[in-house]
Amino acid sequence: MGRVDGIVIEPRPNQPVHVTALLIGPSALGDRLHPALGRVVRRIEKRFGLDRDRPARVAFADVDEIGAKIRLRLTISETAVAAVEQRLRSWLVRLPGSR
Amino acid sequence: MSTEVRLDRLVGCEVYTGNHRRLGRLEEFRAERRGTGWVITEYVIGAAGLMERLGLGVRLIVGIKRATGYVARWDQLDLSNPERPTLKCAVEQLERR
Amino acid sequence: MKKLFNLALGVITSIGGFVEVGSISTSVQAGAEFGFSLLWAIAAATLFLAALAEMAGRVAAVSKRSIAAAVRERFGFNFQVIPLGAEVVIDTLLLTAELGGAAIAVKMLTGIGFQWWILPLGIVAWLVLWLGNFTVIEDGVGLLGIVTLSFVVAAWRLHSDVGPIARGFVPSVPHHDLTRYAFLVVSIVGATVSPYLLNFYASGAIEEKWTEQDLWINRLTAWCGMGFGSTVAMGCLVTAAIVFGPQHVKVDTYEQAAQMFVPVYGRWAIVLFALSLGIGCFGAAVEIALNAGYVLGQAFGWTWGIDKARRDASRFVAAFSLVLLLAVAIATTGFDPLRVTLISVALTVVVMPLVVLPFLVLMNEEEYVGKHTSGPLGNGLLAALTVLGALMAIVVIPLEIFGG
Repeated sequence: MGRVDGIVIEPRPNQPVHVTALLIGPSALGDRLHPALGRVVRRIEKRFGLDRDRPARVAFADVDEIGAKIRLRLTISETAVAAVEQRLRSWLVRLPGSR
Repeated sequence: MSTEVRLDRLVGCEVYTGNHRRLGRLEEFRAERRGTGWVITEYVIGAAGLMERLGLGVRLIVGIKRATGYVARWDQLDLSNPERPTLKCAVEQLERR
Repeated sequence: MKKLFNLALGVITSIGGFVEVGSISTSVQAGAEFGFSLLWAIAAATLFLAALAEMAGRVAAVSKRSIAAAVRERFGFNFQVIPLGAEVVIDTLLLTAELGGAAIAVKMLTGIGFQWWILPLGIVAWLVLWLGNFTVIEDGVGLLGIVTLSFVVAAWRLHSDVGPIARGFVPSVPHHDLTRYAFLVVSIVGATVSPYLLNFYASGAIEEKWTEQDLWINRLTAWCGMGFGSTVAMGCLVTAAIVFGPQHVKVDTYEQAAQMFVPVYGRWAIVLFALSLGIGCFGAAVEIALNAGYVLGQAFGWTWGIDKARRDASRFVAAFSLVLLLAVAIATTGFDPLRVTLISVALTVVVMPLVVLPFLVLMNEEEYVGKHTSGPLGNGLLAALTVLGALMAIVVIPLEIFGG
């Protein structure tokens, strides 16, 4: 599906910090390098109309299992993760010989 | 209003003691499933420079003994200012690694 | 039995795919200017490459992750972004050089200027990737590449005494032009140990679904494949040394280099040289473009694989397509293929320590190599290579300026 590009946590008073969500998407990755870069990526996404629900957020409640791979209780189309892949796919299928 | 913090930005952040001394860097977070949610139970603080992150392989060659680090329980670290994690207790109360 | 056949095929394709624009140009120049005395550099660089390739294959077979994936997971994106960015830049430049080399080869066969061939070759390369699958590409490139054995045959037919050739395998200080000699040593290493080869090899291991049971195949393919492959580069050097050496010719163009086949192949000289150069470069171009897809897809977590339906891996397809497009664009702005080759080779050397260092860690982590961790010998070797790589990285730019 993708790689974990960010993790969102929620500090709460007098409670251990809750791990709320996984982030998947280049804007989250950009944030990791530098906040300004994350903003640039988000602007690019907006330009291409790909900015809805991105970076994709997967609630930690939907995490089934954490190991070498993280398994979720969702399928790929249920999240905005697939946005770029789907957009590119719609171009690619018009090329001859595509399989 | 709960604040949202990016965990991946906390990794490598310098942790300070109550009296503003540098303790080390946040290297690792240990989390557990509780009910339907996950919570962070412990923080591992150490001298996480490049050498540490490169870890085992380099140590095998160079033979450096790992600098001591600390493990802080969730209630021993204050994350209200995410840019400056601070200890809520004395250094002596931390578990040594 | 089937495994033995696949192993043989793997070794043959490694031989056929070994030389490309970097190794041909450095071998020809090394032979022409210093006779046999740089043979040790090719041998040493090949050993370096084979060792790293075997390790990359080991990680892929045991952990089912390629190098780029393993580096992303183990070191985090913030570390990886530097070697990743460097690799994409170097690969694009190298791709440009390979397309240039292939275009020059076609020019030698047709007489039509090489700039006209860049775009058609780029399109053909893209079609190969768009329509092909891993077996077709790997085996096709490798088998067609058998023509590069003409370098070995030429060296053989020129009947030189074994003595001087054998002495070439012992490192020695040259009588003249130390800077140039050192430059060629470093260039040979940079041309042989291309970073794209390591990730490509690992990705190939995953495309072929190697498992822990196949580690012996990995070892044999890496060592024999690269080992025998290096004989092609050595053959090229030896031939150049015998033909150009006595007159101390400095070879500046590929047309000039082709002359080295004349004493052996007569009127077939140009054709054979052009085919060897062209197929070697074109095959490398296809692999480099494919590897760009691999490395970006693996680092960012896209669905990747040349055996997957194209519609299921659109970002991967976009990646290799864009890299090809970029390389073609750079190439058509008018460039000297030899110059671009030397620049990419130099950049490879600069980045090399960053490439080798992760291996040092990965080879000791059970998560990536299971119980097949490197012993102290392996670690010592890797550490030595990292230091050597760092030293070379420091000297390569000055050498390029003074010896290039």
